Amino acid sequence: MSALPLASPRPQRAPAPRRHLEVAPTRAQRRARPKLLPAVVTIGGIGVILIAQLLLSIVLADGAYQIAGLQSAQRDLLRQEQALDERLDVLASTQNLIANAESLGMIASGNPVFLDVSTGQVSGDPTPAGGSLTGAAGNQIGNSLLVDVALVAPVAPTADVPAAPTPTEAGGVTNAAPGSIPSPTTR
Amino acid sequence: MSSPRTASRRLAVAFVAVVAVLGIFVVKLVDIQVVRAGELSASAEQRRSMTITTWGVRGDIVDANGTVLADSVDRFDITASPRNVGDTTRITLDGERTVVPTSEALARIAEITGAVATDLQAALDADPASDFTYLVKAVTLETFTAVWDLDIPWVYSELRPSRSYPGGAIAGNLVGFIGTDGPLAGTEYQEDSCLAATKGTSTFQRGADGVRLPGSLVVQEEAVDGGTVHLTIDSDLQWFAQQALATQGTAVGADWATAMVVRVATGEIVVAADWPSIDPNDLDSVSAENSGARSFTAPFEPGSIMKPVAFAALLDQGLISPNTQLTVPGNYTNGLPAGENITDVFAHGDLRWTATGILMNSSNIGTVMLSERLSAQQKYDAFRAFGFGEPTAVGFLGESVDGNYGKVFTPAETQADTVTLATQMFGQGITATSAQMASLYQTLGNGGVRMPLTLVAGCEHPDGTWTDVPVPTGERVVSEYAADTTLQMMETVATQGGLRNVISVPGYRIAAKTGTGEVAENGRYGSERIVSLAGVFPADRPEYAIVVTVGKPDTMKSSAAAAPVFNAIMEQVIKTFRVTPSTEPAPDLPLTW
Repeated sequence: MSALPLASPRPQRAPAPRRHLEVAPTRAQRRARPKLLPAVVTIGGIGVILIAQLLLSIVLADGAYQIAGLQSAQRDLLRQEQALDERLDVLASTQNLIANAESLGMIASGNPVFLDVSTGQVSGDPTPAGGSLTGAAGNQIGNSLLVDVALVAPVAPTADVPAAPTPTEAGGVTNAAPGSIPSPTTR
Repeated sequence: MSSPRTASRRLAVAFVAVVAVLGIFVVKLVDIQVVRAGELSASAEQRRSMTITTWGVRGDIVDANGTVLADSVDRFDITASPRNVGDTTRITLDGERTVVPTSEALARIAEITGAVATDLQAALDADPASDFTYLVKAVTLETFTAVWDLDIPWVYSELRPSRSYPGGAIAGNLVGFIGTDGPLAGTEYQEDSCLAATKGTSTFQRGADGVRLPGSLVVQEEAVDGGTVHLTIDSDLQWFAQQALATQGTAVGADWATAMVVRVATGEIVVAADWPSIDPNDLDSVSAENSGARSFTAPFEPGSIMKPVAFAALLDQGLISPNTQLTVPGNYTNGLPAGENITDVFAHGDLRWTATGILMNSSNIGTVMLSERLSAQQKYDAFRAFGFGEPTAVGFLGESVDGNYGKVFTPAETQADTVTLATQMFGQGITATSAQMASLYQTLGNGGVRMPLTLVAGCEHPDGTWTDVPVPTGERVVSEYAADTTLQMMETVATQGGLRNVISVPGYRIAAKTGTGEVAENGRYGSERIVSLAGVFPADRPEYAIVVTVGKPDTMKSSAAAAPVFNAIMEQVIKTFRVTPSTEPAPDLPLTW
């Protein structure tokens, strides 16, 4: 800037010693000045987020492997269950039960007799049980699934089977009124 | 050299070049992102994602008690990739290398599966460039696991949903079976819409190691399991009936035998036994002609077990009473063309029988004489009302095929053929299936109301809902008086007939009828017989109708061949369903006068 001497009526002064001038920051400028703490927080935050994401994806991937493992285990177990069910159905077939019953010496029951509890009357013509379940020729209704199925070997009852409790031991039979059916007391 | 003009020209050229390149990028971007977006993302999806077919399970067939008769089971096909076949090098944890040659791998597979090693080698050699071949088909889980544990890299597997029939030949005729391409016979075929599962598809994305990426599974279509078909039969009783038929059929040298047990109040079929019966696990167990259900699809001339139709119709019309008196000659020609005559099984002179006596002695002549009180149309209508000449309500596979549900000759047909008009009344000429005969006795036991026969009690879907549950609506055929009186007349067969000692069960009143049908072969009756015993019990409050038929016995050509089976099944029905004895004595109807 060039000052024109004519224009100034002010008295000339000796030039003052040059002072060190500093721009006074406004409040906004003061606030805008970078500070350490927010920077640390921001960078730290990003770091935490990145680590969290990493951990999350590790956990997710681990979970995916776990799910895959459990799913194949579930499939294998379901298959095993089905195979066992299939086996059970074959063992429960009428032919197998009859063959086992016959080998254990079981026989067909005779004519049933009915007791009418309301009148106390017995009806029916009892006949003694007897005779083979299948007749002399044996079972004639084939089942090719039973080819490999062996008969159950009878096991002698072991001594530690507790004896059936007698009514007096159980103490459950009450002296019911005459005419009603004696029944154990349910506890 | 560098004047401002050349500088600005250069700038312009550079600008144009940049814009052109940018333009190309934009065009390419639009092309990729918009124009071919669908195509490209689809092919990308295809690379990343796997589509899997999920299989529903075919439903079971169970009996009235829930006993499984047909069961879906897992079988595995062991497959291989011939292209990748080679000796396998195995490295143990210690870094030791062992080489398993292909031949040894095949030998071990053969050992486990029971296949022949050379066959396996042949399968691999058939097309060495291919990526797929079957080695062993349909092995069980146990075998499959053993093969899998061999850990051979070029061996793969496929799931093959299969069928198992735990009951074997019990009700095999009713259950039917499945071929390689789907159901072929019986309930498996007829109820396929209930049993069949719907397969589903899902896709997922997988990583390089084949593991499913989390959250990437998309189910396009859910697999739906098939429903369970509930039959009305009792499989234990069915076994008993089949066993009794097989024992007796073998003893008398019969070709075949059937037995039906029907609950009279509802028309439910408790037993529909055929001997021989197929074991659906082994389709070669019987010949092809015995692989179906003869009781539903093989009509025959039933003989005298048809006579109750005539008596019920006559009683219904008020044309006879149990005591109607008739003199029955030993030979009858009235209304027949010259040279034709009707006789009874045993020779006799004039006999003074009541209507009951005619039924008890199963007199053909007496039945024809009484039936003359009905018009040809009335006779025809009576047969049709009892359900003859049409398929039963069961609608068993093949039953509705013309010729499989028997024939009743129409009045137009019998007008010219008066012999058949007469013989139909004692069950010759007319043909019927065992199921139709059972329906007749059900109607008589149910006070004259015919209930539609049912074999399928319904289809239970996986979500617990039921469909196809029959709603039986009865149809009155004859009056209650006519039905009950016919039963009372039939009781004399069990109390005074020749087979009374075989049929009777102490304490139970039984209404029964014998039948010995002659078999027409090549247009004339030969020496073959189809013998039956049909009845309803207890006669005072009927619960079950039983019809036993033995086809073409060699040694015993009368209903005496069927009577022991009838008796045995009746006793077993009494035990199974706890049928209580009769409480009132049978009326004493006179047979002669």
